[in-house]
This record gives sequence, C-alpha cells and structure tokens, in this order.
Amino acid sequence: MRRSGISVLIVTLAVTTLAVAGCKKKPPVAFPPASGGPATPAGGGNPPPPAPVPPQPPTIIDNPPVTSTAGKDLNAMTIDDINKLENSPLKPIYFLYDSDEIDDASKKILEANASVLKQYSTWVITVEGHCDERGTAEYNLALGDRRALSAKNYLMSLGIAADRLRTVSYGKEFPFDPGHEEGAWSKNRRAHFMLVSK
Amino acid sequence: MHRLQVRTALMGAAVAALATIAVPVATREVVATAQQTAPPQQAELSVTLSSTTKRTVLAVADFVVPSGDAEAAALSKLLSDVLWADFDFEREYSLVPRAKTASFGAPARPEDVAQQPDWGSSGAGADAVVIGTVTRSGKEFSVKIDIVGAPGSPAAGQIGFSSLYEHCSLANPRFCSHSIADDIHKKKRGLDGVARTRLAFSSDRDSARMGTRTGVLVSGKEIYVSDYDGANQQRFTFNNSLNIHSRWSPNGNQIVFTSYQTSFPDIYVADLAQAGRGLRRPGNGNDRVQNNQAAWSPDGSKIAYVSNRSGNYDIWIANADGGDARNLTNHPAADQNPTWSPNGQQIAFTSDRATGSTPQLYLIGISGQAIERLIDQRVDRPTWSTLGFIAFTSGANFGHDISLLDLVSRQVTVLTDGKGDNGSPAVSPSGRHIAFTTTRWGKEQIAIVDRRGSDVRQITNTGNNTYPSWQPIR
Repeated sequence: MRRSGISVLIVTLAVTTLAVAGCKKKPPVAFPPASGGPATPAGGGNPPPPAPVPPQPPTIIDNPPVTSTAGKDLNAMTIDDINKLENSPLKPIYFLYDSDEIDDASKKILEANASVLKQYSTWVITVEGHCDERGTAEYNLALGDRRALSAKNYLMSLGIAADRLRTVSYGKEFPFDPGHEEGAWSKNRRAHFMLVSK
Repeated sequence: MHRLQVRTALMGAAVAALATIAVPVATREVVATAQQTAPPQQAELSVTLSSTTKRTVLAVADFVVPSGDAEAAALSKLLSDVLWADFDFEREYSLVPRAKTASFGAPARPEDVAQQPDWGSSGAGADAVVIGTVTRSGKEFSVKIDIVGAPGSPAAGQIGFSSLYEHCSLANPRFCSHSIADDIHKKKRGLDGVARTRLAFSSDRDSARMGTRTGVLVSGKEIYVSDYDGANQQRFTFNNSLNIHSRWSPNGNQIVFTSYQTSFPDIYVADLAQAGRGLRRPGNGNDRVQNNQAAWSPDGSKIAYVSNRSGNYDIWIANADGGDARNLTNHPAADQNPTWSPNGQQIAFTSDRATGSTPQLYLIGISGQAIERLIDQRVDRPTWSTLGFIAFTSGANFGHDISLLDLVSRQVTVLTDGKGDNGSPAVSPSGRHIAFTTTRWGKEQIAIVDRRGSDVRQITNTGNNTYPSWQPIR
C-alpha cells in the first residue's frame, strides 16, 4: 500500500493538536472536510440521523444483538449498552486491502461520527484498527495502528479534541467475520469505534 | 555435509543439582550420578552433523520395572517411548522404530542384550541398545541406563555408557526421559539437547469472550506453555483478553508478553512458577504509551520492545525493570520486532522506512549507531540465533514461509515448502530447530521444522495457536 499523503497544510494543526503526545514525527494525516461540511447533529436526546449506509455489520456469531437506537436516549444508556447497539451511533469505516487511506465513503461516515461526538461532548472513544487475515500477524499490528491513526486524525481535522480519541491496534486478531474470503475480509479491514467514557 | 557450531555451556554438577525447576508442571532436576567432566567456564564444542556419514543405529528397549503391575508397565513404556522420541528429534542417532523391537522384551542386564541376536545386524539392525531399569521409591523413581553394543556389532556386549538418574517424579515421568536424553546427547555427542526445554505460545482454545463489538462477540487469546514436544500443554495467563508475543528470559524462568488486559497493549513479565500472578509492567504503559513485542537481552539486564510513545512504533531499550527507557530507532516509519544479537551489542528489527509499507530487516547498535539494512526483501518477525543466522517470515499475502538469513554469506534459505501460511519463527536454543505458526493442517497450529527444512512436527492441535517462543536451556 501507499502511505497516505501528508498535507503540508495541516502541519500547524498537527503541532498544536498532537503536542500532548509529544509527537515530532509522522505528522497526523488529515483530510479536508468533504464539501458540505459535517453532518448536522440531531436535536434533543434523539439519536443522530442515519449515516450514509456502510457495509452491513458482520454476521452475528452468538448472542442476538440489542435492538437499535431508535427511540433510545443515549444519555440514559450505559456505556456497555451503547457499545452493544446493533445500530451504533458511531459507525465503523472500512479500508482497502493493505491500505490505511480514508476514502470518500469513510469521510462521510467520520463526519457523522464527529457530529455525534460534538453532540455528546463528554464522550471519550477508542478507535480500534483491525485487519483481515492476510499478511503476517506482526505486520498487521502496524497496519491496524496506521488505520486507527488515520481515523483519529481525520476526526481531529473535523474538530474533535485529541484527548477524546484513543487508538489501539488489534491487527488481525479480532476478525468481525471469521470467513476466509473477500466478503469477510472487507468487513474485517476497519476502524471500529468504542465508547470508553461519557 | 552440514557443519554446525554448537555453543555449549557446561554446568557443574552442583549447579545443576541446585537449580530448581519449574512449574507449571512440578518437575525437579533429575540428578545423574555418572561422573561429569565439568569445566567451570563455558567451553565451545564443535559438533559435526553429517548427512553422508552413517549414523550409529540406536534401539531403545522397554525399561525393566520391578513390580509387574499395570501402572509400572505403562511407566516403563512411556519412559522408553519418550527417550526414543527425544533421540529421534535431535537426529544424532538413527533410531530403530520402537514397534520393531516391541516383542524383544525388557533386557535387565547387558548380557540379556548379548543373548538376543534380534537386536543386531541379523534383526532390528541396531548398533547399540539403550536399556534401563526403573526403581520406585515413594513418589519418585530412579532409572539405571546402559548403552550396550548390539549382537553382531564391533562393540557387541560392551557397555558404552552407564548412568543412574535419580529424583525422577511420578508426577511428570516424561521429564525424566528428557533429562536422560539431554545428558546422553551432552556426554556422547557434545550436544546441548533441548529435550527439557519448553515452548510458550498463544491460543484461543479456551475462547474466553472479551466483550461485544456491536453484536459480535470476540474471543481472546491466552499464553500457554508446553514441553518442547507438545506434551503437558498448560495455560499460563488468565486475564480474558488478548495475550501474544511471549518471549522467555535468558534464564528460562520468566516470560514477557504483550497483553491487552487494560484494553491497551502493554508488556508484562511473569514468573514461570506463578502462572497468572505477580505480573510486572516494565513498560509502564497506558492508553497513550502502548508497548509490545518485548525481548530480553542475552544477559537479561535489558529489554528491547516496541512503543508508540513518541507517536508511532519505534524500538525502545530499557533496563529489565523498565528504568532508563530510551528510543533506539526514533524514525517516523514503523519499527518492530526487535531481536538481540548473541553478544547483546546489536539489535535486528523490521522497518518499512525504505518502502513506505513493506517491512525489511535492519541492524542497529544498542547505542543507536551504525544502522544498516541487511537484505532487500520483505521480512517479518526476525529471530537471531546464536548459530549465526536470523530466522524470519518471508513472502506476502498467504504465501509466507520461514526463511533463514546466513549472517556471513548473506544468503537466504527458504525452510518451509509453501504448504499453508507460515510465520512467527522461534529458534531453539541449540539453533537446530525452528518453531513456527502454520495453517497447513487447517487452523493455525504450532509446528517445528529442523534447520535443514525437514522433519516437520505438529505441536498443537486444539484451537488456533500462534506466536511460539522457545525456552532457553537452563
């Protein structure tokens, strides 16, 4: 894969926003917001509008999922319950094989996620980087790290504070779909968002 | 003809006797009473492994047990089966299949071998026969071993080796045979055998569920420890998260590994004797300081590991307790997989700095000096052997193989044969075998191949098993 392009334009942003991490290298990759800007948050305690449709959540392996967010007040729900929602307010984004680039579809999803994070301004999330089973386990740890950082940096470019965004790479250790073909792999190459405090 | 330089550390008998062994399985040092020629310092021996010279053909007889009960008979068969397998593994001798001599009985004395011509050239074809007599004493037993020239051989009837092994435990009789094999290999062949060493690896076999990912339940992996031959597989971690990258301390008493038990990867150190307890965290990690892939220096005084604390993956070095941590590679590319040179002065690692995505093999001095790319090809999970080569994962996508880089000639040899996807090599302490992960039998399993690329053995068969590491000789 190619490493994502690094824009000189965002170096200033990088220095200021990533100062907390003491990062003097690998400036975060940021992307200009898609035309039209971030999606408008839904009013009141209602859930945000549905984001542009990503690939469906992977096959359910075991327990039936908790029902959707429709009509639920996220402020009243526990962190665990929110994370278990089938129709999570924070949608995953998907990547091409061996890539950490944020494509246009993913940008729209991240814009919707950013809107949710702006609506729930105390939420802190972990961005998990995941990979499909191809490639060595060790290499995929680094690839998952790059994917998580790509998603984090794009959210930061949309105005989400760095201290609300943690990242972790699971490499290829936690496939969402255990299959061994592209249908499964495409679901497993993702950045996944987990609420950790609210 | 292959010629292997085997570095051999000869321990004094007193040291060997004092060394305490090892949980998870309760084992105690088996004491050999035969005279040990024990220079106080390390000696270097040269062992010639020949594929053209005829090896001595060895048969292992059923051992004699004093009582005729079924338990004793089973013990006898187990001890000789395991000893046979240990010899077969190291390939110093050519072994007569056990089934071929099953009807020959259990010789109690060297004369009994001499009187049974079937052992020799007119039958099983052995040059020599290993015989043993077991004596039980409470929960312990001892084994008297003799190696006797087989009928028809030039040394027919002569005793070529004799030793008494005491303090064998009924709780783990396999360890007794392993001790005998290592002792005979040492004294007869000058070889540091690995029969008493163990493997550590990760497995999802107990499939503890880590939590929910929007409707999908995710399984964790725990660290397990087994004998080198796959026997006695026992769970070592119990935290229901992801536990990977195990590596042994040079003294073989501790394991360092990466665990996600706080939701973020950090390196943990645990004593072999305290599975699941007493964890130490030399990386002092948190959600902003994530550490993984630790490896001890050969003298045990330092650790190298991967950390993202400077913003991306770099190789860091610290004292074994985590003190004086410093960034060794300090590069915006992803630097991973540190492995120490045998003299502790250099570290080999992988980096995608030249390619933007493909990891390649680099060498750096532990003061950060003299960085050098070793070969221009994709390399993952290098492991540096004391025998002057680095084992690594080569290839891409599903076509990974285990390869060896000779550090003198810079020649690369592919060890595995393209069957399945192969990765994460770990070199045995003698350098003669490589453990690795393979999918050739379906799920991910741990296998061992010898360093010529032959004699592949399956070590695990339950669940998915990955990231093997090989315990040093203690």
